[in-house]
Amino acid sequence: MFQYILKKILRVVGILLGVVLVMYLLLYAIPGNPLNNYVNNAQRALSNYYVDDFVLKEVNRRFGLDLPLWHQITRYLIGDKIDGEFVCGIICGNLGPSISQRGRPIADILFTPPVGKSFWESQFGYSIRLVLLSSLIAVCLGVPLGIAGAKNYLKPYNRVQSVFMAGLVSIPNFVLGLLAVVIFASWLHVAKVIPDWDNFSDWLIPAFVLAAMPMANVARVMQTTLINTQNMDYVRTARAKGLPERQVVLVHIMRNALVPFIAYLGPTLVELFGGLFIIENLFSFPGFGREYWRAVLKLDYPMILGLTLFYAVGITVVNLIIEIASEMLDPRIKEQKEQVNP
Amino acid sequence: MNTSLPARRKNLPKSVIFALFVIALFSVLAILAPVLSPNDPDERGFKNADLPPMWVHNAYSIGTVDHPLGTDMLGRDILSRYLYGVRTAMVLIVLAIPLTALLGTLIGMLSGFYNRKLDAFLVVIMDILQSLPGIMFTVAVILILRKMLPPTWFSGVLVLVTGYSVISWVSLARMVRAEVLRLKSMLFFEAAISLGATNKRIITRHLFPNFAHLVLVWVINNIPAIILLEAVLGYIGVNLSTSVSENEFTVVSWGGLFYTGRSTLTRNPMLLFVPALSLLLLSMSFVLIGDYYNRKHTQ
Repeated sequence: MFQYILKKILRVVGILLGVVLVMYLLLYAIPGNPLNNYVNNAQRALSNYYVDDFVLKEVNRRFGLDLPLWHQITRYLIGDKIDGEFVCGIICGNLGPSISQRGRPIADILFTPPVGKSFWESQFGYSIRLVLLSSLIAVCLGVPLGIAGAKNYLKPYNRVQSVFMAGLVSIPNFVLGLLAVVIFASWLHVAKVIPDWDNFSDWLIPAFVLAAMPMANVARVMQTTLINTQNMDYVRTARAKGLPERQVVLVHIMRNALVPFIAYLGPTLVELFGGLFIIENLFSFPGFGREYWRAVLKLDYPMILGLTLFYAVGITVVNLIIEIASEMLDPRIKEQKEQVNP
Repeated sequence: MNTSLPARRKNLPKSVIFALFVIALFSVLAILAPVLSPNDPDERGFKNADLPPMWVHNAYSIGTVDHPLGTDMLGRDILSRYLYGVRTAMVLIVLAIPLTALLGTLIGMLSGFYNRKLDAFLVVIMDILQSLPGIMFTVAVILILRKMLPPTWFSGVLVLVTGYSVISWVSLARMVRAEVLRLKSMLFFEAAISLGATNKRIITRHLFPNFAHLVLVWVINNIPAIILLEAVLGYIGVNLSTSVSENEFTVVSWGGLFYTGRSTLTRNPMLLFVPALSLLLLSMSFVLIGDYYNRKHTQ
């Protein structure tokens, strides 16, 4: 058991290391440098804007932008001597300073709430709350819809539902978000155009928009897995034995349909994480999806890397939970896996 | 009384007929874009800027027949830009999806069929790519590539196709790998090996036909993804660009319409509404076809 856990942890660490390396190489290859971009833009906007070359050089040195690539990566990962003092890198949990926010530590930007507020008011807390609310909506609406669809399979209700779900899957979420704002805020005056995030009812529109596509996916997957399981031999046997219908549905159908369903839940939740970047930008939601976009537009290397790392950790954790859950529900999966990768 | 007709004709359901009709319609629009579009999509004129659709006649602005859907803030004709955008969307589908499918199938097969060390290496790469945020990865690739290529329509498309393919092959490769590993443990595979079949024969005769349906399902399910990706990137502004200058790309696409349309939502909603509706129709048709295929093969 200990070895099993150790193996999993080692794999996760390897993946995260790979993520940092790939992302660093990509960012390094993007033409331009965060500081020079900033100065150029400012010079374009203000004709009398002037930056001393000495200052530029000094700031570049401060953020390590003048170092060779290998040195930058080792500085980010392990740490380096900066001004005669050893500063530990990502292995100590130090995400480094943000370039576009004048050297404010990234951990501070993401995790520190405004003064006098709880942890949930920090950027990270906002995003986590939105994700939890949306996944709750997606699962709580998607599963019953899927069950209803499987029950009325090939009846008119099911046809209407499946066309509707196909529509929800294929509409981009920013269009849905704009539509929601136009309809609910401008026409019906139910919601506010500029939301107040202390108010729970203002969370509903972003949460539902974010949950729409995963919800439709959940419903579709639930429906197909239920229909596939319904036609299995053991279900027919259970019915033939004369078991009460409730027991057949709960024990024989639902439990077995849960395994493929949970396996699909992983990619669906990952999609939800991806939708966060768009939705937070659209509703100017103070979470880390919006921060990510800002960082990308300003080429703020440490910020992008830190957020990518968070995203990767989130996805790995979700995948790990789902892997363990499906192994617990169906021990055959673990056996198969041991055959495939010993 | 023609008795030679088959007794039972296979009727396609209405949803599939509708989907096929929509796809055919968009293909025709894409091919005939230069004929159908009333104006040059890149022609600007500040006198014509911000015209409303032609059916609007109010005190502030009057639409003209020359610009049926109106113009954007630079005076470019929306209908022409939309029609050329259809062309871009169709080219994206035709280029990106087969390329990604080929890449995914090859790597998945390589990983599942050949030696263990290569497999372990490829699995690690897939794990890494899958835990990166897909949109950001694509954006980074686009930002890198678009300074390298000459600014033409085709290189704009190529950049987006590369950005999409580099990350999207992973899901297919994983599926193919798992299926190849499953097939490898079956009896017919063992029989083929013991009869002395070559690798080429095993792959083409015994493996590929057994997982081809997976690739087909993946292709149908992922066609909407590339159009949605283009729209989202366009909306955010990391687009195939909307302006025509020496060092910018000149691709006209639905994403570009979204980009110009999001700031003029109140003046001319057509800029957002028309591409959004066609995006919905087109990707929904592929989803419906995918549903039909699934239904046929599970019963």
